[in-house]
Amino acid sequence: MRRLLFFVSLVALPLFSTACAHVASYERGSLAHPTMTTSDLASPSEAHVRAVQEGAVGGGGAGGGGCGCN
Amino acid sequence: MRLQLISPRLLGAALGVFVIATTVARAGAQPSGSGAAQAPPSADATTSPSPSLLTEHFSASYGQYADTDHVFVETPSISGTVSSPTAGWSVGGEYLVDVVSAASVDIVSTASRRWNEVRQEGNVVASYKPRAFGVQASGSVSDEPDYLSWSAGGAVTQDLLDKNLTWTLGYAHGHDVAGRTGTTFSVFSRVVDRNAFNAALTLVLSPTTVGSLIGDAILENGDPSKPYRYIPLFAPGMSVPRGASVGLVNALRVSARPLEQLPLSRQRYALSARVAHRFHGATLRLDERLYADSWAMAATTTDAELLFDAGRRVELGPHARLHAQTAVSFWQRAYTFGLGFDYPALRTGDRELGPLVNLTGGWTLRIGLGGDANQSSWVLGFDLNATSTQYLDDLYVTSRVSVLGGATLETDL
Repeated sequence: MRRLLFFVSLVALPLFSTACAHVASYERGSLAHPTMTTSDLASPSEAHVRAVQEGAVGGGGAGGGGCGCN
Repeated sequence: MRLQLISPRLLGAALGVFVIATTVARAGAQPSGSGAAQAPPSADATTSPSPSLLTEHFSASYGQYADTDHVFVETPSISGTVSSPTAGWSVGGEYLVDVVSAASVDIVSTASRRWNEVRQEGNVVASYKPRAFGVQASGSVSDEPDYLSWSAGGAVTQDLLDKNLTWTLGYAHGHDVAGRTGTTFSVFSRVVDRNAFNAALTLVLSPTTVGSLIGDAILENGDPSKPYRYIPLFAPGMSVPRGASVGLVNALRVSARPLEQLPLSRQRYALSARVAHRFHGATLRLDERLYADSWAMAATTTDAELLFDAGRRVELGPHARLHAQTAVSFWQRAYTFGLGFDYPALRTGDRELGPLVNLTGGWTLRIGLGGDANQSSWVLGFDLNATSTQYLDDLYVTSRVSVLGGATLETDL
């Protein structure tokens, strides 16, 4: 359990330490760029190769984004 | 190593389906139909076409994989999504084929011939998010001669704080049936059921930075042991060097070779963070995944990609990925039998369950082929990645180099 908490902290702290700024819709031009999605950009074949070559799984799914669109 | 060229027949078929799909979609997007595709009536509807309320995205891709263990894979795929940004719904699907040809050392060590196999996979996803709250449903099926897998799942999501924070909760159930080629599942099969839970938070960190925190828990029940994988056994005290050849292993091992046997359940946990930052004319994407499971495997995966805007139509950049993992608790390079010639209860020859390090480097190139008004309406993309794998405690091989190349054609209508 202690090791799990350590791993969680290792990943979460750098992300949340930057704080969540309130960004208005009109400020999101850069966030609307196609490469700014929080989805995994791997192609189907690349994702499949990773699944075979790596013993670990997970981490692919995240919803939402910053662009403010649907 | 032999890097095969693109199969003209498969690529031609994929592109043919792609062209047909885009033509049909374009016809369907004209304001003459009914339902959601119909444009709202307007005073000048008879003199100028009304704008479509739908957007369509289609892509066709072709990937090719080759490695120094004599495994070759061709993967043509097509996908399409139709969505209504104003109504908030989206429906999409994907179909791909894996054509595998292998003569790896694992096959050679069992005195088997090169085998060829075709796997087909299809998946669909539908989502509805009219306002801040949304739902999603998805399903997939994968079929090959000795393996059938399906999964179905759903997710809910909600935007908070003026879309500065989005949370997502998801669940999927998977069902895998493994058999032997030429034998029906009713005669021989092994079943694995999978329950996958997913939770994610996406945060807008600044006008140029967005980040996600993703947690996954995957609970597997069933026997995932491969029915073709035989494990060499050695006498107690026998020393077998790392990377021992097939000939040396055959000279040292005893005659008995039991089948692989893995534990009948596995709980897998992953925690990932993803950050994307937009510079002036470039995007940096960073991923970190930490993984642990009930078989005592721990892993870390770091992924970084930098994409430059090289002009108005060209985007390119390098990609790097480092994956390192420990072995599962029952991993042994050379399994030995006991005093009563009994086998170790758990045994495996799956190198991806042993300690290894993967280092990947590659490049991405995307070219906008659309008109001046919208260059990204047609996009041609190329990816090339090479991976070096170091197996730290294995028989037969100590390293592998693989190359994955891909080409993708995308269009937004």
